[in-house]
Amino acid sequence: MKRFARLLALAASSLLALTAYGQTPRYGGELVFPVPSEPPSYDGHREETFGLIHPIAPFYNTLLRVDPFDRTGTKPAPSLAESWTESKDGKTYTFKLHKGVKFHDGSEMTSKDVKASYDKIIFPPPGVGSTRKGQYADVEKVEAPDPYTVVFHLKHPSASFIASMLSPYNFIYKADILAKDPHWYETHIMGTGPFTFVEHVKGSYVLGKKNPNYWDKGKPYLDGFRAVFMRDSAAQVAAVRGERAQIQFRGFTPKDRDNIKAALGDKITVQESPWDCILYVSINHKKKPFDDPRVRRALTLALDRYEGSKALSQIAIVKEVAGVQVPGTPFATPPEELAKLAGYWHDAEKSRAEAKRLLREADVPDGFSFTFKNRGIPMPYEPLGVWLIDQWRKVGLNVKQEVVEAAAYFGVLRKGDFETAMDFQCGYIVEPDLDMYRFTSASRNPANYGAYEDPVLDALYDKQSQATNVEERKRLVREFEKRALDEQAHVLMTLQWHRIIPHSSKLHGWTITPSHYLNNTLDTVWLSQ
Amino acid sequence: MGIYILKRLAAMVPTLLGVAVLIFVLLRVIPGDVVEARYLTQGSQFQSQELMDQERHKLGLDQSLWKQFTTWMAGLARLDFGLSMWTGSPITEEIKLRFALSLQLAVMASLLAQVLAIPLGILAAVKQDSWIDYAVRVFSIAGLATPSFWLGILMILTMLIVFHWVPPMVFTPFWVNPWENLAQLIWPALAVGYRYSAVGTRMMRSAMLEVLREDYIRTARAKGLWLKLILTRHALKNAVLPVLTVMSLEFAFLLGGLVVTEQVFNLNGLGMLFVEAISHRDYTLTQALVMLVATFFLFVNFFVDIAYAWIDPRIRYR
Amino acid sequence: MAATPHTVDELTQSAPRARWFATIVNFIRQRPLGAIGATIILVMIAAAITAGFIAPYDPLATDYGAMIAAPSRAHWLGTDAFGRDVLSRILYGSRTALEVGFGAAILGATFGSLIGVGSAYFAGRIDLIVQRVMDVFFAFPVIILALTVVAVLGTGAGNVILAIATPMVPRCARVVRSSALSVREMPYVDAARACGFGHSRIILRHMLPNVMAPILIMATAFLGEAILLEASLSFIGLGVQEPTAAWGLMLRGAAVEFAETAPWMAIFPGLAISLAVFGFNLFGDSLRDALDPRLRTQ
Repeated sequence: MKRFARLLALAASSLLALTAYGQTPRYGGELVFPVPSEPPSYDGHREETFGLIHPIAPFYNTLLRVDPFDRTGTKPAPSLAESWTESKDGKTYTFKLHKGVKFHDGSEMTSKDVKASYDKIIFPPPGVGSTRKGQYADVEKVEAPDPYTVVFHLKHPSASFIASMLSPYNFIYKADILAKDPHWYETHIMGTGPFTFVEHVKGSYVLGKKNPNYWDKGKPYLDGFRAVFMRDSAAQVAAVRGERAQIQFRGFTPKDRDNIKAALGDKITVQESPWDCILYVSINHKKKPFDDPRVRRALTLALDRYEGSKALSQIAIVKEVAGVQVPGTPFATPPEELAKLAGYWHDAEKSRAEAKRLLREADVPDGFSFTFKNRGIPMPYEPLGVWLIDQWRKVGLNVKQEVVEAAAYFGVLRKGDFETAMDFQCGYIVEPDLDMYRFTSASRNPANYGAYEDPVLDALYDKQSQATNVEERKRLVREFEKRALDEQAHVLMTLQWHRIIPHSSKLHGWTITPSHYLNNTLDTVWLSQ
Repeated sequence: MGIYILKRLAAMVPTLLGVAVLIFVLLRVIPGDVVEARYLTQGSQFQSQELMDQERHKLGLDQSLWKQFTTWMAGLARLDFGLSMWTGSPITEEIKLRFALSLQLAVMASLLAQVLAIPLGILAAVKQDSWIDYAVRVFSIAGLATPSFWLGILMILTMLIVFHWVPPMVFTPFWVNPWENLAQLIWPALAVGYRYSAVGTRMMRSAMLEVLREDYIRTARAKGLWLKLILTRHALKNAVLPVLTVMSLEFAFLLGGLVVTEQVFNLNGLGMLFVEAISHRDYTLTQALVMLVATFFLFVNFFVDIAYAWIDPRIRYR
Repeated sequence: MAATPHTVDELTQSAPRARWFATIVNFIRQRPLGAIGATIILVMIAAAITAGFIAPYDPLATDYGAMIAAPSRAHWLGTDAFGRDVLSRILYGSRTALEVGFGAAILGATFGSLIGVGSAYFAGRIDLIVQRVMDVFFAFPVIILALTVVAVLGTGAGNVILAIATPMVPRCARVVRSSALSVREMPYVDAARACGFGHSRIILRHMLPNVMAPILIMATAFLGEAILLEASLSFIGLGVQEPTAAWGLMLRGAAVEFAETAPWMAIFPGLAISLAVFGFNLFGDSLRDALDPRLRTQ
């Protein structure tokens, strides 16, 4: 019966690949793609960069994953777990594992390995780093009652538990190796994924070749892949344009897209999506006059986001006007609702007049001067910085930009050494719990650089986090958004990032999602002649 | 001569020690460390002080500065550079390929520069204040005035737009595939070489002018020996030396200083590694790189001095 | 040595002054390339001073209706990615370039020559120590110095000046020291010392004026270099920051992306850099020919 179910699943997934592209996948070929940054170590549990995901994810599997053909990047799909069930009280999740999954060293992957991997992530032994421990604070324990079953026990029901299991970082490692040396995976690679590791030439590339014994029969299609490290974006563009690479998975600028498309025509296919990353302005509530909500509201009212979207989407990787959720995803605020928030009104003149009125009311003189700290990264920090300063100038605020070197930047913010500063929120999956955590009070969230305390906001966060009814949760998310962005204007959103992937038309079986962390296992990707 | 060499070698030690102290202190003055660079920069939702303290302990960053410094020195004395704080891999492994690339590029650019500089410099000096002199000077000053990154961008765009071709993306060592290797490195070598030829041409010209005015050359001229002979036999020998000195010092600079060129031409050389190492606050890697480049510089200097001493024995006793 | 202090001062100062005047006249007459260089520099200085009057637009004013507009009557050199006037930004950018250029060159040459002359004057152990310290800075990679200055102090024109000037100090010190060594042996320095003048007076009033030639040559060379370095640093994001008008900054990001369809965004600032550096080098070169005692036409 199980075997039948598996076959069915296999048939369904290949049918999906077929119908999506109307072509039979072709075997063979090497996928070449530039990666803008090199992985610090190979341990996904420890790192937090796409520079690790892009070259390393194809060597591993996760328990669940995001459906590789879902454009919203939110739909859970089986991977090492072929099915899962949730208990009535919402506190127990049981995962049934695929049988016959082999590690690259030939040993079988069982529930013991899953438990060991998740124990390392959630309850790391002393001296072992796990950046995502906080994300699984709800998990009480992980159990492995039999070789093909894994059970997660939660402290209380969580609306985002399954979403958090879709993390592309949670590679399943081998238990025996972890027991011997929990740091082994920082400098070595050995997983169950569709590709096996060949070599990593430092400062140059990572090479992977097809895993002939891959458990998902028939996959992968590619003979191998080569991830080439290239820091400079112009060089990445040149690589795709010169047809030395088929794709770059992070994203290009609109102009790069136009240039590549103009040069290569039909040989290029473009996929675009809103991107689950947004730059927002942290406002230091400890500095006067920014402790006054009227001043903060004026700062957001000064922005004409719709005009900004039109102009900046031509020159930068931003586009959609958005609140705390990516437009087009399940919990996003509809545009007409969004337009009611301060700074999102369609009438820019009225909005600016209101901003000026509020500033007067708060005794902020015309030509008031303050500094805005920005991070030393060109795209899209630089254009958004120029835009913000220009917008504030239009309501009579004289803003001086101070650019801080990228690595020192968040250290400066943590110390509270700023008046207003560019801040960054980026997630691997669009999920209110993950996207909104950064806006909760400083006492529970060290990344709240604005240093505000707002118990009402925190209560809304907790309520939506445990709301099992979708409509109820939507309402709460919207209330949270209104309080954070409008009434209190704790922070100020700029524009949603916009992900643009121009890739070779020969590349198939890959679908863009709102996250550059997702969908990089490459098992479904194939190259046509 | 032997004693002179030993003395010169011994003089390197305090300089290197000074470099070591300087980079060690500078790195610790820069705000932030590798742990912050790793865990704070990605805009992550969940941050943990505990995790950061743990990592600092693991890397020995919670030890006293003195302890850190002596540990490093003890390693250096054994020629052990240690592990990169950012990747955890041995530093020699991190540097190996990038060093090969940077060294080759530096050699190619210097060769190119000298091939251009020496004849042009001589020509300009011999024909001083004629239009040839002016043309050479304008050509060489234009080389100094054109930012090499700008030249690089122009070259890349021309190749891409006109020839629909881009250089290979990955560095292939020369002994593996000379063709691929040159197809990638010849362009930056041209862009950088042109600039350095300008330095050399100007130097060559003035050195040559100086020599041409010395009495013995004038005597030779008066005696009616033809110019070519004078140039080769007398002047050249004396004029080329300072030029080679300057060019070899520039060569040492090329090894680690081509950050912008490397960025434009998409080369993973030592220059970009410097920038990366500093931006990751990878103390161990940055320190190793600085020591490497400084040692290289000192040795080039050393060989130049030895060459002078060999040619002019008086120097040895100064 | 019967000379009074008064005459010693005169001895050391009047002679170079006469030499100066002659060389300037000679220079203009005999060095057309140098004169061209000087003209370029003068034009640039004029542009920087009058930018406020002659620039057609506010260099910071964005115009989302005229983004990336080609050169036209309204915008002679076109507009950039924010609709800012390229001509105005180039004119204002000359301020940044000159500010950084002169700032770094003066800073580097001043400290360099003081250290060089001082080191030569005091000789002995002090000289030895100073030379060792200079060696350390010499062997130290320039890019690391620049990176650390920026990382510690932050970006911005003032810090860029510091970052550029730091590596210039040891270079200048080395050259000036070797010239000063010979000046030190001159009779008038002995005389000044015999008169019991203080160290700083001898260094500043008797030795320094006599090594002015190499200092000036170094300083003009530094000027061109500093402008180029500022452009490079700004280009990689370590220099002057947006929205300030600066040439290197104008070449960054969008300028490269748009190089094919909107070449004016990159060509004109690139030309401005080249022309400025070209001018300073041309001038400096001729100045060297004119001032370097070993090369003076006989």
